[in-house]
Amino acid sequence: MGFVARLAVRDFRNYECGEVTPSSGLNLVVGRNGQGKTSLLEAVALVSTGRLLRGSRDTQAIRLGQPSGEVKAELGDQGTEVAVLIAHGQRKRVLLNGLALARASDILGRLPSVSFSTVDLRVVTGDPSDRRAFLDAELAQLWPAYLRHLSVYKRALEQRNALLKAAQIGYVPDEAFEAWEEALGQHGAGMRLSRREWVAAAAGPAQEAYQFLGGGETMGLDYVLADDGVEPERLAQGLRDARSVDVRRGATSVGPHRDDLAVTVDGRDARAYGSQGQQRTAVLALMAATMASVRETLGQPPVLLLDDVFSDLDGERRSRLTELALAAEGQVFLTATESSLAGPSVLSRAAVFRVQSGTVRAE
Amino acid sequence: MLFAKPLADLIAQLEKLPGVGAKSAQRLAYHVLRMPGDDVRRLAEALTRARESLRLCAVCQSFSEGEVCEICADPRRDPHTVCVVAEPRDVAALERINEYKGTYHVLHGLLSPMDGVGPENLKVRELVERLRADVQEVIVATNPTVEGDTTALYLAKLIHPLGVKVTRLAHGMPVGGELDYADSATLLSALEYRREI
Repeated sequence: MGFVARLAVRDFRNYECGEVTPSSGLNLVVGRNGQGKTSLLEAVALVSTGRLLRGSRDTQAIRLGQPSGEVKAELGDQGTEVAVLIAHGQRKRVLLNGLALARASDILGRLPSVSFSTVDLRVVTGDPSDRRAFLDAELAQLWPAYLRHLSVYKRALEQRNALLKAAQIGYVPDEAFEAWEEALGQHGAGMRLSRREWVAAAAGPAQEAYQFLGGGETMGLDYVLADDGVEPERLAQGLRDARSVDVRRGATSVGPHRDDLAVTVDGRDARAYGSQGQQRTAVLALMAATMASVRETLGQPPVLLLDDVFSDLDGERRSRLTELALAAEGQVFLTATESSLAGPSVLSRAAVFRVQSGTVRAE
Repeated sequence: MLFAKPLADLIAQLEKLPGVGAKSAQRLAYHVLRMPGDDVRRLAEALTRARESLRLCAVCQSFSEGEVCEICADPRRDPHTVCVVAEPRDVAALERINEYKGTYHVLHGLLSPMDGVGPENLKVRELVERLRADVQEVIVATNPTVEGDTTALYLAKLIHPLGVKVTRLAHGMPVGGELDYADSATLLSALEYRREI
């Protein structure tokens, strides 16, 4: 089982230097706002995914006025050490047992994690692009092949869009489009296949979690295609057919970058018709489904990072959420402004860490 | 004034070189000022001579002193096999292994609409001209990047109708490499292009 046995940070966010030895089970991080609770969770996310939470730029995490920052983690029962080094004006380096990896993303899968904070509400309430970003992050963690499809697809899409713009002002022969569209077809179809499979498998666990968390209604997940290109040939053909329209628009209208994940409550779009409570429960259910898929696919529970999730929930839902988090039997990091918010069921089992102005100590 | 005029000019010229930033340009310029006069003259001459005496080989488009480069003019090289590379330096890399006996074709870049590079900016027309002669195999040796792969795909589509065999360099595990430290993209590719033994 992958968990963080020791976590050390240097010049990371507001920490000058800090080290904790978390429990392999439940960890409660308490402190007032702005003291560095989230940063601790972010440090775990960084060694897990090679990236900061929610698309922060890497150098933003370096402590003010310092040239570089570092996060180091010892992964339990594997004796593995993962270090991430961020420096101004340099490429981020991810080291596995002291050896630099070719790409930061190559660390994915060693310490799978699932994170949730109030910002993640946008997976339900935000734009289709928020939901695609969620799917991309989760699938990249499960399947390196997905990440490969995604990165080639993004690049080839930029290239085709550049061709479309060139075709607006001058002549571009059809052959110039063909090779890019073939690449988009191959990798775009690969992305769609994985996304559809994942969503289909997540729908059941999401519905279960939704009900468990106190939603009386039914919750649905559906992957919505923008066009019918699910095979490479078909998608490439779709791109060919859309070429003249796309030249006029200066953008590619066909492909997985136009798809959406539909989240419904009682058959109605949760984004448009859901109450705030329903939306919040739906996101938590989605998180639970993600945990289940990590467990199923990678054979181990993910590290769960729950940032300030208790403040908006009533007592009943809080204890239900705690139960759900503990049922996964993985390592959990929870933040709260007051330990009392966590309730007795958490406090009796948790290792408690108190965070104050960039220092952390075990209680 | 920060620099004397001749020094400022030298720095400005050096800065135009790829991979040389303002700081490196200054360092190089000061280094040149400390070099013996003869060495500086030899450097200047080498720069001018290389630029003026080299042109593109009429056959493979690599840099050459004569109309046709040494490789293309060598009767021991097999003109029926053409290895297509992106840059002249790739020819040097393949020549170092001293194993390939065919000829080359240099594209001088890869397809990249973002950078304004289309087929018309590459030596593609020249390649197709060459294939009218008796070429049996084209080995596409572009880098395994998105642009390299797409350029290879483009060439394959272009060349297949001419009845010429098109192959592509294999990509996979580096020789002597360790599975545990291989990046995922490389492993995926190695698995996809595995072969029977």
